[in-house]
Amino acid sequence: MNHITDERFEDILQGEETDLAHLRQCQDCRDRLAEKKAIAERLRSAFGSMHASPELADRISQTLNAATAAVTSDRPVKRVSLSSHRRQLWPAFAAAAAILIVLVPLSVYFNTSSTAKAAQAELVGIHQENLRPDREFFSDAEPEKLAEYLKSELGFSPAFPCTGQGMAIRGCCVAHFRERIVGSYVVDTPQGVISIIVVTDRPKSLGMSRMSERTRSGQTCWKASFARCSMVTVRLGDYSYCAVGEISHKYLLELISRLLS
Amino acid sequence: MDSAETFEKAALGHLDAVYRAAVALCGGRQEADDLVQETYLRAFERFESFRPGTNCKAWLLRIMRNIWIDRLRRKKIAGNELPLAEQAVAEEGRDKETVWSNAEDLIENFSDEQVIKALSELQEDQRLTLFLIDVEQLSQEDVARITGVATGTVKSRTSRGRAALKERLASYARKMGLAGH
Repeated sequence: MNHITDERFEDILQGEETDLAHLRQCQDCRDRLAEKKAIAERLRSAFGSMHASPELADRISQTLNAATAAVTSDRPVKRVSLSSHRRQLWPAFAAAAAILIVLVPLSVYFNTSSTAKAAQAELVGIHQENLRPDREFFSDAEPEKLAEYLKSELGFSPAFPCTGQGMAIRGCCVAHFRERIVGSYVVDTPQGVISIIVVTDRPKSLGMSRMSERTRSGQTCWKASFARCSMVTVRLGDYSYCAVGEISHKYLLELISRLLS
Repeated sequence: MDSAETFEKAALGHLDAVYRAAVALCGGRQEADDLVQETYLRAFERFESFRPGTNCKAWLLRIMRNIWIDRLRRKKIAGNELPLAEQAVAEEGRDKETVWSNAEDLIENFSDEQVIKALSELQEDQRLTLFLIDVEQLSQEDVARITGVATGTVKSRTSRGRAALKERLASYARKMGLAGH
């Protein structure tokens, strides 16, 4: 007699009426099914009485309202204050603050319904995350190790930035962009920290406009601005390398031109 | 109706479900609060990408899963060991096949906290999948969309997760003297 497979049990637990004849005659499979059901029900009951605290709900509402008020009044966003007994949640609020910095210019996003602007907001959000003091990077003195890390996370090896002339790679990390995993290099430059985010999207779909200048190697460059950040993107092969930083397009172009030369 | 109001109307109704999923992922309520708050802020930021009429809860859970995965990666980069079910089970001795003569009676002996703790010790992919299937009672197709895998993978993860949870509870039972080896 062939017993019911684990996958078939999952179908039965989902309510599919299958293998009923076998179940009627097989005590072993009936016991296994009963055990799986018991575990599922116990798990469900363990969470049954669990609810988010009213404090959490209030905090989320207040933070969203603060973000909206800042957008409409053009005033800086006031972060929801922490009560003293919840100071251990400071990292959460730091994260919230970083996101709120991005939320302020989202008035453009909401007003124009522009997915391109949303993409730019996400790119700037990744850069803002990279600037957080507690941001963890994968860093290694050997470029090969960084490339290996990105390959293991992304499934391909992005072009590796050339450094020198006052530029150094702080590390690389991955994040989500348009619900996909993307990699970014974080580079210290004499003008400040920039992120080079590698995405598959074409610059035009990111709402960027073509620049009149080209890189030293002659590649076409694209630019956009969002919040306080400038973005300059170069397409290499199947990927767009988007440099994001709080510096001018002109200088960003110079940096990415050197980094990708 | 402004954007925040529209968002709150659509998303805050799922707060309990998102919170429970966060507890399942994090194991602790404080970290879960943090994860939920970040999830809602990220969701608000991306609300334009949500299509009205589609499953808002699944959309929120997918965002939360992505944030959680990003956090795990950061922890991994920082050199912190992630809780792996295999390691935990190996410590307890996987070769000891547990036979429960009366599963239903036995699992009633565990407190809610113990059951949630056992769940939080499973591998991340099994933990969330099992939670969404057994607790939230989502369809395999919805879970596949949330976790970004095929339906077949959802089935195997659920099955392996439930078996691993049983092993975890069995090890608790042994410690509590409720079951033999």
